[in-house]
Amino acid sequence: MQAFLTDHRLNVGLVSPEVPLISNLPVWSNIALIRQYHENLPGEKSRALVIDLLERFGMTSIAEKRNPFLTEEERFCVMFIRAATIRDAIVCLDRPFRLLPARPGGRFFTEALQKIDDLIAEVHIFDYSREKEPYETNDGAEN
Amino acid sequence: MRTTSSLLGTLAFAAGVFLSIFDRRTYNSASRTVFIHQFYFTSVQILPLFLSVAAVFGSLINGMAFQVIKNLGLTDYLGRLLMGFVVTELAPFVTVLLLALRSSAAINAEIAVMKVNRELDTLEHFRIDLLHYLFVPRILSGMLSMIFLTSVFALVVLSVGLIVSGLIFGTGVDAYFDTLLNAADIFDIIVLLIKCATFGFFITMIPIGFGLRATRELTSIPVSVLNGMVTVFLAIIIIEVLSSIIRFI
Repeated sequence: MQAFLTDHRLNVGLVSPEVPLISNLPVWSNIALIRQYHENLPGEKSRALVIDLLERFGMTSIAEKRNPFLTEEERFCVMFIRAATIRDAIVCLDRPFRLLPARPGGRFFTEALQKIDDLIAEVHIFDYSREKEPYETNDGAEN
Repeated sequence: MRTTSSLLGTLAFAAGVFLSIFDRRTYNSASRTVFIHQFYFTSVQILPLFLSVAAVFGSLINGMAFQVIKNLGLTDYLGRLLMGFVVTELAPFVTVLLLALRSSAAINAEIAVMKVNRELDTLEHFRIDLLHYLFVPRILSGMLSMIFLTSVFALVVLSVGLIVSGLIFGTGVDAYFDTLLNAADIFDIIVLLIKCATFGFFITMIPIGFGLRATRELTSIPVSVLNGMVTVFLAIIIIEVLSSIIRFI
């Protein structure tokens, strides 16, 4: 996985406990930060963009919340959206069940992906072979 | 040996930060937001406490100093005392102590917590430069806050001085301002501004540097804050001594 991240470092968005949300920023700032920094998108515009993305997940109510006050599912979705806001995002899920110990079914990932698939160029899931089943995957991308 | 290496490390970090102030990439929407938030936390939130301290301190210093001046028959030195001591020495010193106690400690703890929580790794993963996004806006805010709050402190103390000098010497408003203007020295004001900016730079840069030295252990946070604050205090003393040497020698 490390080699993959290095090869695609310009537009890879990692979803992993090793890349946590910033705890002194609200959810919307965590997501908006990337475009504010790289594209100099003004604060109001980037906030509107984030609210639109959160709305797709029915999560606008968490926009002002901070990391410690999110449920596991909310935290995962915020990290997923954040990863997708990179231009031509290659979203990389690193053993996602570490973030979702309640282990939702594979449908959860498919639905999450469908909500923002207009932003994402590719999605890669890195997990142990024994965890293959929940993702309902048919291709051979595994590590 | 360890102290020398630590000092060199701090100076190298200071040089990197200083150069980044002039880097165009520092000035983006995200960094502006950090700057505005930091300026609010450092300069605006502290105002009620700061104004109270300035008023109490101003009354005390002015009351004592004016009484001594009157008793010694040195009323001609009133303006020099106010501009040369209260404005250029006392105002920045009290301001830097208050800011160091409040904001430097908070910045040190914040960076250390971000290091422990791996949040700095997050920024690096998303190719967000720590210097541009996290450090320079805080340091610029510290520099501007020092200049702003020192000016506020000086204004409050001089306003209190107007009342006190009226009560003790019977000085009118015009005569008071004439005395101040005659005593004002442009060289002193320039040294004051540079001193304030230098104070602001180091009381934010040093806590950031020490926050970065935290390890992944929670127990490293108090150690980092303790070492950072001691170094901030030493830096304040060194800057104060250097500015006095420049002014008086």
